[in-house]
Amino acid sequence: MAAPLTSAGSTRPHVSEARALLLSALVLLAGIALGAAGFFVERGMSTWRPEITRTASGWLVVQTQRTPLGALALGGDSLVWANGPLIVRMDLRSGRLKLLGPGPLARSTWDPAVSQRYVVWFEAGAASAGEASAWVYDSATRRRRQLATLGDVLSLPSASGRRAAWCTTLSDGAPGIVAVDIPTGEQTSVAPEYGIPVIDGDLVTWPTRTGSAGMPAAWALVDVSGGRRWSIVPAATLPNARLLGYDLSGRTLVWAETDPASGRGRVVAENVDDGAADVVAEVNDGSSLTAAPSIDGDLVVWAEERAAATGSRVMGRRLGGGPSFIVRDVAGRVLSTAAGGNTVAWLMQRGQTSTIETAQAPR
Amino acid sequence: MLLWLLVELCVLNVADLLLTRYSLWLGFARESNGVMDYFFRSGTVPTVAFKIGIVTVGALLLWRLRHYSTALIAAALLAGVFSAVVAYQALWVLSF
Repeated sequence: MAAPLTSAGSTRPHVSEARALLLSALVLLAGIALGAAGFFVERGMSTWRPEITRTASGWLVVQTQRTPLGALALGGDSLVWANGPLIVRMDLRSGRLKLLGPGPLARSTWDPAVSQRYVVWFEAGAASAGEASAWVYDSATRRRRQLATLGDVLSLPSASGRRAAWCTTLSDGAPGIVAVDIPTGEQTSVAPEYGIPVIDGDLVTWPTRTGSAGMPAAWALVDVSGGRRWSIVPAATLPNARLLGYDLSGRTLVWAETDPASGRGRVVAENVDDGAADVVAEVNDGSSLTAAPSIDGDLVVWAEERAAATGSRVMGRRLGGGPSFIVRDVAGRVLSTAAGGNTVAWLMQRGQTSTIETAQAPR
Repeated sequence: MLLWLLVELCVLNVADLLLTRYSLWLGFARESNGVMDYFFRSGTVPTVAFKIGIVTVGALLLWRLRHYSTALIAAALLAGVFSAVVAYQALWVLSF
């Protein structure tokens, strides 16, 4: 009996199921290896990551020969800074970095503000400030989203708890200070006027009516929960003083002022309810104040540059008692300081090297 | 072997959809594919229907052509590229 005819060309060898599974798994693994290699190569080529080192008391962030670091902010477990237009967050528990902004459609950013859980900053698609939007990063959900659209950017954002505040042009084109509830995005008008606000809890403050020498003639205060508004007059000011910067925590407003003529400087803390003032620090030995002070709870920190620019000191003091103390002696010029809980952070520039360092303040 | 590759393709397609959706929700990514961007903006159901549907149709087509060696090569290339994309996405999400 003749064998049945077979169709021409059907001589494909039989491949066992196990071999087929193995070969397809190899294809999968080859693809995974390629994808992983691409990820790590791209990460290695990124230029925004500075050198991070853990120290005995905190962290050291160093960037050399690239865009200087700036816009230091500290809150909760977040240390945030700007690297050119980039907004970078470092988790103080792990040292891990995250690039928060700008987003894919934005080109420029403004200095960020940090509360316990949120980081708030502005982004714009172009260099002009007329089309900016506020963005927020939530460290609990690890998510970033748009918080609000802005008119003109008239101040940097300030953040505390679940609120942020800033000054922008309102719908009628006039300047106004607004407070925003971050989880809901609900905006509250704080004051229909220009100001550079700082918020802590329910309290917003900004300097009003600049005096002839550059110090504010008064500080406006608004309790956003009840709508109450009042003013205080800065106490214990130096003659011919110029305002270096200010901060707010609880019911205490703290500012730094300098007298360019005499070289004297002073850090003052004032109670916003009764106006009682305390001179936190007096600088008149040839040293000079170089940055705005920062306050969190009872801890005030500031920076002094030593005479003949031979270095700087990051200083601290606990309100309610005790002398001031040196947090750190550094070789460069301290550009800004920040206090968050018991953590102190400072940004320093020395030649082409920008450094951010954190340390624990003594109790 | 073609069957296993097509099964891999479908599983990777679902993984790609989930990872992309999560990355967009995180707010750190933007869909650069104009067609998929349209569907993501349209909602979850249209997105799932389009993404799963188009790859399923392609897989069925390749299965229909299983007697040709080209179908096997095409499936292997697609699975390899897709697994590379998914691996990259997964590492990116994990880096957060």
